[in-house]
Amino acid sequence: MRRRPGIAGLQNAAATRDQFRLVGENVAKVRTDVMKEQLATFRSQLEEFARKHKSDIRKNPIFRQQFHEMCAKVGVDPLASNKGVWAELLGIGDFYYEIGVQIVDICIATRSHNGGLIDLLDLRKLLCQKRKATLESLSEDDCLRAISKLKVLGSGFEVISVGRRKLVRSVPTELNKDHSGILGLAQAEGYVTVEQVEKEFSWSAGRAIDALETLLKEGLAMIDDGHRDGKRRYWFPCVTVSSDTTGSETKS
Amino acid sequence: MSAAAADWLPSASVTASGRPVLSAGEVERNLLPLVDLVPEENPRLAPLRGCLLALTSHRLIFLHEASRSARGLPLATVVHAYPPHRRHSHNPLRSIFSSSSSSSQHHRIRLQISRPPAGSEVVAIVVTCKADVDVFFGRLLEAIRARAWETTPAAAPASGAPVAEGAALAEDVAIRMPVVGVSGILRMEQESWESAGQNLQDAFQDLNALMSKAKEMMQLAEKMRLKLLTNASTEPNSNDEDMGSKQDMQDLLLSVGIVSPVTKETAGALYHQQLSLQLADFVRIPLEKAGGMMALVDVYCLFNRARGTELISPEDLLQACSLWEKVDVPVMLRKFDSGVKVIQTKTHSDEEVFARISSLAQKPDALQKGISPSDAAFTLGIAPALAKEHLLNAENKGLLCRDVSPDGFRFFINLFNEIDAQNIYTQKPHGLYHAWISVAMASQ
Repeated sequence: MRRRPGIAGLQNAAATRDQFRLVGENVAKVRTDVMKEQLATFRSQLEEFARKHKSDIRKNPIFRQQFHEMCAKVGVDPLASNKGVWAELLGIGDFYYEIGVQIVDICIATRSHNGGLIDLLDLRKLLCQKRKATLESLSEDDCLRAISKLKVLGSGFEVISVGRRKLVRSVPTELNKDHSGILGLAQAEGYVTVEQVEKEFSWSAGRAIDALETLLKEGLAMIDDGHRDGKRRYWFPCVTVSSDTTGSETKS
Repeated sequence: MSAAAADWLPSASVTASGRPVLSAGEVERNLLPLVDLVPEENPRLAPLRGCLLALTSHRLIFLHEASRSARGLPLATVVHAYPPHRRHSHNPLRSIFSSSSSSSQHHRIRLQISRPPAGSEVVAIVVTCKADVDVFFGRLLEAIRARAWETTPAAAPASGAPVAEGAALAEDVAIRMPVVGVSGILRMEQESWESAGQNLQDAFQDLNALMSKAKEMMQLAEKMRLKLLTNASTEPNSNDEDMGSKQDMQDLLLSVGIVSPVTKETAGALYHQQLSLQLADFVRIPLEKAGGMMALVDVYCLFNRARGTELISPEDLLQACSLWEKVDVPVMLRKFDSGVKVIQTKTHSDEEVFARISSLAQKPDALQKGISPSDAAFTLGIAPALAKEHLLNAENKGLLCRDVSPDGFRFFINLFNEIDAQNIYTQKPHGLYHAWISVAMASQ
């Protein structure tokens, strides 16, 4: 391009640059779109293959490994068995194991924001999303059955009822860090209320109640329903003693 | 005899729990316990005895379990494999030279292998247990015929490889058709994606097509993944669906792991034993990340995710864990009184926690009033239930003493160790007892 002096020349150069950028952006956009489309085909095909050719894939170990790698790279869950008659009647076959693994997977993935306590319905929705299935095709009973198969692995993983809702708890008491949080909160006044816990940690109602009930069962908390505001207070005698130490010492 | 003796075979590396380390793309095909490898013609080659034989797509690995050492015989060097037979005593001289008189009862698979400087050797795999030798032999022939060692190194690309591949592809196109200006670039771009799309369609015609195109598809997948991940990170305002799919990808990516899962089919009677070793190897890294302790259910999920479609049942997992007691692995299964089962590293279990508990119990405040499980939970940052468990364990070890009152359990540091049985009234000028007394005096 011939360099032209003056303001017009500068403006011209700027316009050309703009045009180039526009074309570049267009290309990038088209490319991303095409790729997304291809990725979608790739995924759906892989899913179909995982369902249809499961036994063939398993027979050939080298291909099995390659298939897994493909699935992992494009984000397809290779666990996609149909329920089948035998699973329905006798509960055998991989179907319930697969759901079990996926349920635990979801619980682990969501643990950072729900503390290992998830509504069964939410769980089912996420599960259906993972398996690309409709909500009706995967009943609550299927989930419960899959969870009950995990019983052998210890009692930490269970379904509990809070009110009319069913919650799945995936963190056993021994590994639950919520409790230490509540104890820390209780150090201020010696007691906490459900509202206080919810507000402080921005937890769901179920999570706070579950944690407090567990502490009650462990013998660490005591209930006080007699307060004027009518809110149940959970007192922690053990905590008060330690936080009062400084106070009592200054008094004596 | 350790496997180190047979130095005429290349050594193979072994994981911490004694499983063979497989190279990229290598897959385990079958296992035979209690196998000898006996050179038939060359007496200077030392035999291998009592090994676990693992047949992979690339090698025959002779694993000596007691010494955790292994030797690998590359299948590439196998010139011919003779079908298994039981040697009868028609050749008395040989049976005298071979190890025991009973070896004539055993199945032998003779292999002719090439050894570049010396020509070739004939060695025999002697199967000294009752195992299905025919199945093994069938798999061996399959593996030799498949020649996986020639193809797979390329099929398992390192993380940087696919990018280079893409660049090479672009250069290729550039040579065929000169790129002229913007339109040239656009055309090139389009062609590259069209060919990818075509490839995709071809590959998913049927299973065989996919198998033969697996390598390319894996590269394509890798390319897409990198592109999407970088795109998503540069466009923070992408919509929910994108975020969801990205999340999916990362979730699953974390969980790919075990290239060659132990299956009932390959391991047969050794299934649970081998599974237990593989699990011990696998669980080490997640355990470290989780701080040394994980619920068994979580491990079940992670392990199965790493195995892909080769799911194991909860019962199998439990059995594999319970086998750890018998072998030397750095992890253990622990059951709490509440019925909760966890997996923890052996180092995590005791020393570190006890050290922290005893330092906690020696604070002036605690010397006087003791510590409750909730105090311990609060300072150690663990759940009260677990803290109580740790305190009771520490008591068992003699570190703490308990005081039971209406307030519940309180634990004090054990001072009885400090007191000299011969001279109980003298207090040492320093040490725990002294510290305790000075605290007690100060508070009065």
